[in-house]
Amino acid sequence: MANNPVPANSEAREALRAAMIRLANGDRDALEQIYTATRVKLFGICFRILGDRKEAEDALQDVYVNLWQRADRYDPDRASPISWLATFARNRAIDRLRTGKVRGGAVPVDEAAPLPDAAPLADQLMIDSERAARVHTCLKTLEDPAQSNIRSAFFDGKTYAELAGEQDVPLGTMKSWIRRGMMKLRACLEAGE
Amino acid sequence: MSDNNDMIRDDGVIAGEYALGLLSGEDLLMARGRIASDPEFAELVAKWEERLAPLLDEITPIAPGERVWPEIQAQIDAQGAQGADAGLAGGDADSNVIDLQSRLRRWQWTAGLTSAAAAVALAFATFTPATNQAPVAQPAQIAAADPLVAQVPIGDTGLRLDVTYIPESEKMLVGAIGLSADGVHDHELWLVPADGSALQSLGVVAPGEVRSMELPAEIARNLSDGVQLVLTREPIGGKPADQDAGPVVAEGAFSQV
Repeated sequence: MANNPVPANSEAREALRAAMIRLANGDRDALEQIYTATRVKLFGICFRILGDRKEAEDALQDVYVNLWQRADRYDPDRASPISWLATFARNRAIDRLRTGKVRGGAVPVDEAAPLPDAAPLADQLMIDSERAARVHTCLKTLEDPAQSNIRSAFFDGKTYAELAGEQDVPLGTMKSWIRRGMMKLRACLEAGE
Repeated sequence: MSDNNDMIRDDGVIAGEYALGLLSGEDLLMARGRIASDPEFAELVAKWEERLAPLLDEITPIAPGERVWPEIQAQIDAQGAQGADAGLAGGDADSNVIDLQSRLRRWQWTAGLTSAAAAVALAFATFTPATNQAPVAQPAQIAAADPLVAQVPIGDTGLRLDVTYIPESEKMLVGAIGLSADGVHDHELWLVPADGSALQSLGVVAPGEVRSMELPAEIARNLSDGVQLVLTREPIGGKPADQDAGPVVAEGAFSQV
């Protein structure tokens, strides 16, 4: 066992899970711990979806305030805490995008400021490797109109209507591409479970 | 063509479409309604979200500005202080306010809660329609009538709709104080029935006014504690019959006072 230490990201994940449980019990210090450990990852997600620093910071604030108010929504027995928080942040950012206040959406990747060297290393430990390989692999098996459009929906917050409009294809065609891709993706993911 | 698409659109695909964020308009409203009312569907969505979540690791992490954490703390402090103020105020009229506050907080809304509760009480006292010769209602009657109250905040503008339904009279009050018309859009309020059936329009909101409306029985029977409301942005006059509903700009839920 001495030669097989617990990986750092597993330790970080357990610390985060414990903090989420304390948060649900109203422990305010737990919120600061969670913020410190996850803000860089969650801000990256908000910025990618919203494409505007100010909007993304407002969204990030909204994420943690909501988390404080409703920490009991997280089920520690079910999901990895970082996956859950990342999904929560993405959903809040998408909601904000759908309110129509933000023009944003697709952010050219090179516009996103790179992570400064001095950024906390803890955040890099928060990458959740569980099952990661599977979804990446499955997505890569999709053919191109489906793969690129599913990626654009997921990472840029694009709707069917927006994707069809941008590429000047009928809405029905776009839906057909993506639905077939999703069914293939689902079959691939289920095969790995 | 779209008929062919619908043939392969089982619930698992719809849940995936929602999880990916592909839906808009009425499809989005329907999916949200089903998540709230259909545990099996909600589970399908959760499953997609869990499977897709590792993709979020691809996104470049970025450090947020220094201002964010102090603002989070300030917002949480402000909410805590509001609760304390209401607690100190005491009195019969305020007990409804406090009760309402605690319910509102459960829904995570962040707007000014004390003033929202006061606005609901004021609306109830002031806007009982004269045409109906109804007795002038006092705030104290709120408890007796067991109305349903919903607060629908508009983004983070601090503005909101206050919606009150009084079961005895089958009347709904929709207060849109502080909202102004932009001359290009109207906003339409929808009820999301808990049984997953189609959304029911509660009509176009009148900015800056409190309006009373009588609800038809087929809508009134869907009103209960926890039922959701959504507000969509539409062309002037509301959703055209032959088009999908516009984007959801706000949402809330009823709670029994």
